[in-house]
Amino acid sequence: MPLLKTEEWYDIARDTNWTPRYVTEQQLFPPELTDRFGVPLAAMEGFDEPYKVTYREYVRTQREKDMGAYSVKAALARSKLYENADPGWRALLQLHFGAASFLEYNSISAFARMTRFSRAPGMRNMATFGSLDETRHSQIHLYFAYEHLIRSRSFDWAHKAPRSNNWVIISERHTFDDIEHTRDAVSAAIMTNFAFETAFTNLQFVALSADAANYGDFSFSTMLQTIQSDEARHAQIGEPLLRILIDSGFKAEAQKLVDISFWRCWKQFSALSGICMDYYTPLENREYSFKEFMHEWVIDQFMTKIFDIGLEKPWYWDLFLEDIDVFHHAQHIGVYLYRATEWWHPVAATGPAEREWLETKYPGWGVTFGKVWDVIAQNVASGRHERTQPSCLPMLCNMHGFELTGVPGAKWNVKDYTLDRAGRRYHFQSSVDKWIFEQEPERYAGHLSLIDRVVQGVVSLDKVFDYMHMAPEERGTDGQQYRWTQEPRGGSAGDPLGRRRSAG
Amino acid sequence: MSQFPLVCSFEGDYGLKVLFVSRDATMAEVARTAAEALAGVVVPELGANEVLRVRQAGAKNFLRPELTLQEAGFIEMETIEILRQPAATAVNGARAS
Repeated sequence: MPLLKTEEWYDIARDTNWTPRYVTEQQLFPPELTDRFGVPLAAMEGFDEPYKVTYREYVRTQREKDMGAYSVKAALARSKLYENADPGWRALLQLHFGAASFLEYNSISAFARMTRFSRAPGMRNMATFGSLDETRHSQIHLYFAYEHLIRSRSFDWAHKAPRSNNWVIISERHTFDDIEHTRDAVSAAIMTNFAFETAFTNLQFVALSADAANYGDFSFSTMLQTIQSDEARHAQIGEPLLRILIDSGFKAEAQKLVDISFWRCWKQFSALSGICMDYYTPLENREYSFKEFMHEWVIDQFMTKIFDIGLEKPWYWDLFLEDIDVFHHAQHIGVYLYRATEWWHPVAATGPAEREWLETKYPGWGVTFGKVWDVIAQNVASGRHERTQPSCLPMLCNMHGFELTGVPGAKWNVKDYTLDRAGRRYHFQSSVDKWIFEQEPERYAGHLSLIDRVVQGVVSLDKVFDYMHMAPEERGTDGQQYRWTQEPRGGSAGDPLGRRRSAG
Repeated sequence: MSQFPLVCSFEGDYGLKVLFVSRDATMAEVARTAAEALAGVVVPELGANEVLRVRQAGAKNFLRPELTLQEAGFIEMETIEILRQPAATAVNGARAS
């Protein structure tokens, strides 16, 4: 039987809009769930997705991707890569699977809401594939993480994280609940599919994949690549939607959504991916610095897209460029010091060779962040391990939820942007974090960081680990077991098959 | 909470910390509490000729060491800065330990 070409039937087949008779249009598509701007229906029906995929093609492609990734994993199952891995690479895997798996799972419902509430048939079609993609991403994350569960309880966090009150997870939930799960379908798609997936998933899934391949962790690298190919398709939802908003007279509103989401995602990726790339990846296996990755994979591509669509770069662009040089370095110090509150085992990764590399990539690192590491290293070298964990609490930003940090040492510059509202003082790391809060205070005002919960008596200090659902054996320790001041990094940097000695 | 929470920016540190002090604490006692928690942990120990001075975040002038939280008009989660000063030039400075 002769088959029609896809382009001969696709547009008609996915034109599934109809005129409701039993309920009103507004009841079928409530503005708070569909589109709070009121974009005309005719404009939404003009949504034209760049990727036109049929279900048959989709299933065939996805099956091939899965076969590739799972085959690589099966082939390397006996390689003992994890047992022989550098402690930094272990930390990276522990952190990634705990932090990313539940985001994939939650994204299933984010796409499902777009499928239900978008008035653009093409967007509904793409979002349906998106839900199927995120289901696959959740499965592959859990499957790959659980391979290591027998070796480290950290990997239980791939499944456990979303039901915990761990402070890192609270920060992630606050961000992604904001951009993905608590907005109308149009806003969520712009914030998620454009600002998040166009700008940042490249970082986690292309750049990190390159580091993984360099390190020889082909199982992890292949898993990341197979996910990124889907993320690239998701990103295509945002572009036509942005054009529709701009053409319908909502450019300022679209710009604000992008500006908010870009900054929120930046903070998450800087803290989590930045540490992985500039510290946890063994020095000899680093493809580029985090900053170089940011310029190549985020800034250049994002700017091209932004201008092509007709938007402007975010108003805080200069602050963002400055932040690339500092934020993740400060966060890395805090992550190491407060390691007991994390499910992974951080490494310091600030030995002589690593410091030299950091100074080259980030001129001035030594007289700023390096000064704090000097004090920590002296304590480690002297056996004063108890002095490597502060006895006081860190302050968390009331927007991004990570530590409220700045620049230490000789160029000390730590600012606190405060805001008083209804008898409560809010603290923000930057004018951008505060600006986001000010755009919609009622959205954010009720949220309490873990530190707020301690201060307000929601949780008592002596019960804080129970509150975070962290049993003693789950709490992070120095991944290098304090040997980093005495010898080069242990483990099998650059040799995943473990032909060099293991760090244990 | 029976103790008074303050947000503390200690000179040279990489980020802000939360300190819990008694509600009638003086600035000298606040500085001492901060130094015990942070000097020799994230910043170098205090030198022999150094004292710590406290000021409200963004303010130019230091507060008198004997001034209490109440007298300073602090609210809970007030942000303060604690700086090292040469002992010779710091009138009524508080030794950290």
